[in-house]
Amino acid sequence: MASALSQFLQAVAFGLVEASVISVGAVGLTLSYGVTRFINFAYGEFLAYGAFLAFFLSGAGAGVVGLPVAAVVAVLLVGALGVAVSRVFFRPISDRGALPLLITSIGVAFILRYLLIAGASAEARQLPVPLMRPVEVAGVGLTPLELGVVAVSVVTMLAIHLLLQRTMLGKTMRATSGNRSLAEVAGIDTDAVIRKTWFISAAAGGLAGILYGVLFAPFRPTFGFGYLIVVFAATLLGGIGRPYGAMLGAVLIGLMISLGSTYLSASYDQAYAFIALVGVLLLRPEGIRGGEF
Amino acid sequence: MALPGIASFLVTIGTLACIWGLLALGLNVHYGYTGLLNFGHVAFFAAGAYASAVLTMPPPEQVSQANYVIGLDLPMPLGFPVSLAVAALAGGLLALLIGSTSVRLGSHYLAIATFALAGIFEDVLVNETWLTNGTFGMNSVPKPMRETLGAGGWQVAYLAFSALCLLGVYLLLDRLIDAPFGRLLRGVRESEDAARMLGKDTNLVKLKSFAIGGAIAGFAGGLYAHFLGSVVTEQFVAGVTFVVWAAILLGGVASSSGAIVGAFLLIAFQQSTRFILTIYGWIQSVLPEPLSGVLPAIFAPLPDHPSFVPSVRFIVIGCLFVLVIRYRPEGLFGDPNEVTVMGEEE
Repeated sequence: MASALSQFLQAVAFGLVEASVISVGAVGLTLSYGVTRFINFAYGEFLAYGAFLAFFLSGAGAGVVGLPVAAVVAVLLVGALGVAVSRVFFRPISDRGALPLLITSIGVAFILRYLLIAGASAEARQLPVPLMRPVEVAGVGLTPLELGVVAVSVVTMLAIHLLLQRTMLGKTMRATSGNRSLAEVAGIDTDAVIRKTWFISAAAGGLAGILYGVLFAPFRPTFGFGYLIVVFAATLLGGIGRPYGAMLGAVLIGLMISLGSTYLSASYDQAYAFIALVGVLLLRPEGIRGGEF
Repeated sequence: MALPGIASFLVTIGTLACIWGLLALGLNVHYGYTGLLNFGHVAFFAAGAYASAVLTMPPPEQVSQANYVIGLDLPMPLGFPVSLAVAALAGGLLALLIGSTSVRLGSHYLAIATFALAGIFEDVLVNETWLTNGTFGMNSVPKPMRETLGAGGWQVAYLAFSALCLLGVYLLLDRLIDAPFGRLLRGVRESEDAARMLGKDTNLVKLKSFAIGGAIAGFAGGLYAHFLGSVVTEQFVAGVTFVVWAAILLGGVASSSGAIVGAFLLIAFQQSTRFILTIYGWIQSVLPEPLSGVLPAIFAPLPDHPSFVPSVRFIVIGCLFVLVIRYRPEGLFGDPNEVTVMGEEE
């Protein structure tokens, strides 16, 4: 009985750890949807670039700096990459409706992914993180690394909350997301807002990729595209374009993956996220959390 | 009698191009004529291929490394048409199943739902070893009349058969699209509200479109399984869907002949780039002495690993998406008027 309970709690704990990774990615994706209004299939590549840049900048690759510094640099670089990608690929066709943007994003995903493979080969890599023993509390064990991932994610969520609610940028982002022409009339430089949103969104993707790399080593350059569906699931579950919904959606998806692979079958881990996603799409396409931002 | 290298290569390309042409025709029914964003096309292709494999593989006792349970061992060549028909049926049924859950979704949600469902289907193929033999694959799918015709003759005959199938499906679709049903498909694409106002059940129309395209893809899967003689999960990854997408975007949406041309161009491009390294070696070997240092000097900075050339191929496909959408949304042979009504805002 006690062991059944601790197995359940352990599964919940793992679910929350994975939810931390998903939520960072989902919030990033949903922020960019809020202002660009198309579903970006290239978003998964930001995750891959984050993890690989961190790998090459840190001990395992070039060996210049430690992982924390490498991670920060990688996140900033991915943010800049996001701005560049939007500038080169999406802005020139931004007035043609969402469908061309969506199809273009597939092409962009291919270009980014295979540039990464062409440059870094398809080999699986590992971030230079130490192996750690789990710390057990009441039969539930998590490594300090996993706790660190949760902490980073919680801090990121808080930062995004403060950004949206307390800063001028956040307010203009919300205004642009709510009604772009109205925001423009009110004197907001929406182009600048969109640019900054791309930076934040891509940077969040990069961070999610690094967290993924810390948890699920070794990873390949294709992992971002594979994980995209999980991120989509959380994003849509929370109602696309809604950051707080995305956080909630991430928790649910993380739990679903973890409980599903514990109690049903471990070989279908991501399929649980897919099934949840399809279920949400069918029953409540606007997501579980209605309302504004 | 075997064909000489180059001829055999060309015949192989031709057959693959016919199969991909069928896939493109199927997707064109979804996206081109009905405006459905289907990002899970590969699942229907896989369903057909596996249906054929299960029907015609010898029972597991006769095959080494067999973990599957069912092999119905349909006799060739009489079983061949049955196998293809069942493949088409399997693709169509899977499309009905996937479509009935998600076809009523808005276009972008449909894209994600089909993408996710194809992902689940791929997971099922990998994990349900009893049916699919897992990642090891079903590697004894019979090639009909291979013994009677000999290696070379069989290749040519199979190409001819594939081309006939492609032509047949093309003509069928041509009739279908000109029929009232085809106008209904386009009506749904152009304005669901208008179609509904005329008393049409648009979800049912979309579902039919989904099933037709899925059946064509399933048929292509059966053709593919008997051509290669093996069906492995690795052949049915999400990338296949997007290669077919690239084909119809390049050839021209809402144009059957465009879709076929697009598929031929893409397969020719994909297959011929396999020989870049051979050609490079050949040029290097015929260059006179003073020039022989030039090429290595140009290409030396490029990374040297086996994934390099294949990834360049996909980068080109990605650029194709971006460039066609930006500069020529109607593709090579499409009609610009068909594109403006597909949610593109001019």
